[in-house]
Amino acid sequence: MANSQKGGIDKSVKYDRQLRLWGDHGQAALELARVCLINATAIGTEILKNLILPGTGSYTIVDGHKVQGEDIGNNFFLTKDALGKSRAKVAAELLAELNEDVSGDFMEECPETLLQTNPSFFNTFTIVIATNMCERTLLQLASYLWEKGVPLLVCRSYGFIGYMRLVVGEHPVVESHPDSAHEDLRLDRPFTGLVELCDRINLDNMNKKEHSHIPWLIVLYKYIEEWKRTHNGEAPKNYREKNQLKDLIREGIRKTKEGVPEEEENFMEAIKSVNTALVPTQVPSTVRKLFEDEECLNLHQESKPFWILLKAVKMFVENEGQGLLPLRGTIPDMTADSKRYIELQQSYIEQAADDIAVVTEKLQDILQSIGRGCSISEQEIKTFCKNAGFLRLIRCRSLAEEFEPRTAKIQEIAAHIEDEEHSDVIFYILLRAVDRFYEEYNHYPGWYDDQVEADVPKLKTCMNKLLHDMGLPPTIKDDYVHEICRYGASEIHTVASYIGGAAAQEAIKIISGQFVPINNTFIYNAMKQTSITVEL
Amino acid sequence: MAASMSGVLELKCEEKVNSSKILVVGAGGIGCELLKNLVLTGFKDIEVIDLDTIDVSNLNRQFLFRKEHVGMSKAKVAKESALQFNPDANIISYHDSIFSSEYGMDFFKKFAVVMNALDNTAARNHVNRMCLAADIPLIESGSAGYLGQVTVIKKGLTECYECQLKPPQKSYPGCTIRNTPSEPIHCIVWAKHLFNQLYGQEDPDQDVSPDTEDPELAGEAGKSALEQESKENSVGGIERKSTKSWAMQIGYDPHKIFNKLFRDDIKYLLSMDKLWEKRRPPISLDWENLPDTVEGSSVGVIHDQRLWSIKECATIFGKCLGDLKGQLSQQGDGGMLVWDKDDDIAMDFVTSAANIRAHIFGIPSKTRFDIKSMAGNIIPAIATTNAIIAGLIVMESFKVLKGQIETVKVYHIISSEEGETEGQLQCRQILSDFNIANGTRLKCDDFLQNYNLIITIATQVTFIVDKLEEDKEFDVIGDLADLQPVEESEKPSNDEAEQIGW
Repeated sequence: MANSQKGGIDKSVKYDRQLRLWGDHGQAALELARVCLINATAIGTEILKNLILPGTGSYTIVDGHKVQGEDIGNNFFLTKDALGKSRAKVAAELLAELNEDVSGDFMEECPETLLQTNPSFFNTFTIVIATNMCERTLLQLASYLWEKGVPLLVCRSYGFIGYMRLVVGEHPVVESHPDSAHEDLRLDRPFTGLVELCDRINLDNMNKKEHSHIPWLIVLYKYIEEWKRTHNGEAPKNYREKNQLKDLIREGIRKTKEGVPEEEENFMEAIKSVNTALVPTQVPSTVRKLFEDEECLNLHQESKPFWILLKAVKMFVENEGQGLLPLRGTIPDMTADSKRYIELQQSYIEQAADDIAVVTEKLQDILQSIGRGCSISEQEIKTFCKNAGFLRLIRCRSLAEEFEPRTAKIQEIAAHIEDEEHSDVIFYILLRAVDRFYEEYNHYPGWYDDQVEADVPKLKTCMNKLLHDMGLPPTIKDDYVHEICRYGASEIHTVASYIGGAAAQEAIKIISGQFVPINNTFIYNAMKQTSITVEL
Repeated sequence: MAASMSGVLELKCEEKVNSSKILVVGAGGIGCELLKNLVLTGFKDIEVIDLDTIDVSNLNRQFLFRKEHVGMSKAKVAKESALQFNPDANIISYHDSIFSSEYGMDFFKKFAVVMNALDNTAARNHVNRMCLAADIPLIESGSAGYLGQVTVIKKGLTECYECQLKPPQKSYPGCTIRNTPSEPIHCIVWAKHLFNQLYGQEDPDQDVSPDTEDPELAGEAGKSALEQESKENSVGGIERKSTKSWAMQIGYDPHKIFNKLFRDDIKYLLSMDKLWEKRRPPISLDWENLPDTVEGSSVGVIHDQRLWSIKECATIFGKCLGDLKGQLSQQGDGGMLVWDKDDDIAMDFVTSAANIRAHIFGIPSKTRFDIKSMAGNIIPAIATTNAIIAGLIVMESFKVLKGQIETVKVYHIISSEEGETEGQLQCRQILSDFNIANGTRLKCDDFLQNYNLIITIATQVTFIVDKLEEDKEFDVIGDLADLQPVEESEKPSNDEAEQIGW
């Protein structure tokens, strides 16, 4: 855990700046994670560096290569004296220096061989990150991991092009950390505790001080109720009505003997909040869609906790919740004296706790009905209920689906490569063509300095064959082919650094289950400093 | 080194990479990544400057540093670590402030590109101005959590860093801090001020005692309080003198300090009754009789994320007073402590003092974790964002080095319009702060009338100083008659004259 100590350094101090992003439980997940890196390339070690620094549990490098001249040039974790040694070993050792809390290991073996001799080796990892792998082995690895449900992140830096593809069958996100989220205040559908609290308060017989320190939530509640009394029990619905409500609240501000309105900040806050607080409380469409997902409807013994929890919440919504999700149970800061504020806060906390208790009951029933012991902690239930409005689910397509012409997203790709604006998806096609070239000639185009020009027509042929197989016209310009040949499969450190940062961040999202990862392909064009995310 | 780069970069660009002198300002999160990227891209001539020393909380991302480097110069360690990976590079490090006069125009002019990897606006502004003055391209950058930015700034071609006003760091009116706090942040700021008053540099703007000049006290109200003060020259019965010397005199006695701050000063505040007509009045506390319950719910079990009861706060406050006294005395006479969010005792001090004050004013307490964020202006920082940003900086530098940025002429406007330059220019600055020195020509343009004026600044040499009359800060040399407006139809005369008017 984040607050334990090792080697004299307090982890909560060392990791302070990141705990503020993903919290103690995100850190705990990271510290339990086992990451496998295939190939200690420049991009590979960059990704690992960015995972080791924040304290990922352990890593294993699989690489059958020996360190060569170009490795030293672009890889920070390989030095001159490592020439000719195992790339996996040297990189693992140098990376280990970054963080003593992380344990590192290596396997001096080609992934091809490992897949044949000991494929279950890959089952044990939280995520496998494959860099600069040839297509054939990659597809084998991907199909194996797909079957075993192990997430795979494919990364590549190729000259000025960066590429990243996430392959994860199903990845639920409970804490998606939306950038802007409305508070869950329920002024339109007040719960009993809130009604009782508000009913006990009489704004009229308060002294001046009390009157200006009633939390705006209560002020607004009072005036909405007043409005309802004269409008057939309905809250203001449109802009005009909301403005009328604001005027009503404004009239409620106390006045001095001279008839000048007092400065009552709480009333001003209430007026400011009319628009947002009157947005009707409902179950977001993303969550409603998840309720109808097959996995949620047909639970079984092996169902993931996410689906079981979701079903429990669904049952809550359909019964006790009366169409609403469990209450989030937090309120924003506001002008108020602390007694009233805490009272109000308490009413939200209590209602949220009541809702959680109901969900927990439903959960027990479900677990029993599918014949599973209680494997979901109280904290998990709490976090799930608190974030019920922000639940997200990522389902990536498999690599096989992407590569198989019958299931490939031909039309999307066509739209991109025919685009006048020269979409970066063109480089996706070119990288695929490069792999075909490699398959045919056993080296990358432009690998040998004296063959760059000779490789251009060959790569062009590979590309056009690929396009033909996909049923696409050969419309990609020769300039691109030239450019790719010029790269000679070299890795530019800055591209590796960029994609290394982005890829490590996606890996942390997968590991921590927080924030929403990409779905599913990211391409970076360092020449133009542009990037694109597409689902392929 | 950087072998695989050859052939990928254009030849012209590769030559530039090999021969260009680069300045990296800052060796923190982005700086470490940047140094690594530069070395591995083939840059051979790099200078790096950073005033900071390495802190434990840097280790989650600043990968050129290790545990054993804590306390050492960031610039020096970064240089040593980067050199291990490419001994061919020539890196010079400065453990120094970029504001220092040694790093003037001549220093900046040595470089082909300057790269900012800074964490504060003041230094960014300074480097921005130096680069504009020296006409050296600047690549500015920054990161905060998952967000980051990279901007190329080149005199005459792009906007400069200060073209867009940055939101100033929040400050609060003194009387809110001293008399009428209403939010947790007010109490936190007060607690930081208290730290400085007791142990640091005393700053009259950071007074923590009740403020009798509160505008709300104008007129009759508060008169009694004022009278009491003029009579006794005391606050809450304690003679008014420097807080620090008073605290030293009583040996930082927790009991006395607590009762002065949280009992007597509060009682004194209460006597300013006008303040409390519309506010909840504070309730003073006594060291002997403290509540031991925690308000609201306490989330989390970790010390940092649990709310402390007032009694706990007082105990911790008392302990900190003693510990900090020890730290101060170690420094000898005239020593002072600087508040640092990463110093545990300093952080405990602020947490406990802020929460006690919050309790008194009926403001919700905050956990130490939250207070650290608020007091330290902590910006979350992670390795991944910095890696991305540093990659982008070097990519942008290729464009700059290839000369894809051309120079055009630009005019700087110093406006006299009221309010227009507020916050940008501080009146107390003198011309040399803007690099306006002997021989500088300033072009002035009055946009209310059609009147332009070019002023040539001539710094006086010593022997003519006595020619200046008393109280006169400058003299106009030249013929005043020439300064009269000329008819509009005339073409601008741009000869030897000191002014143009048309």
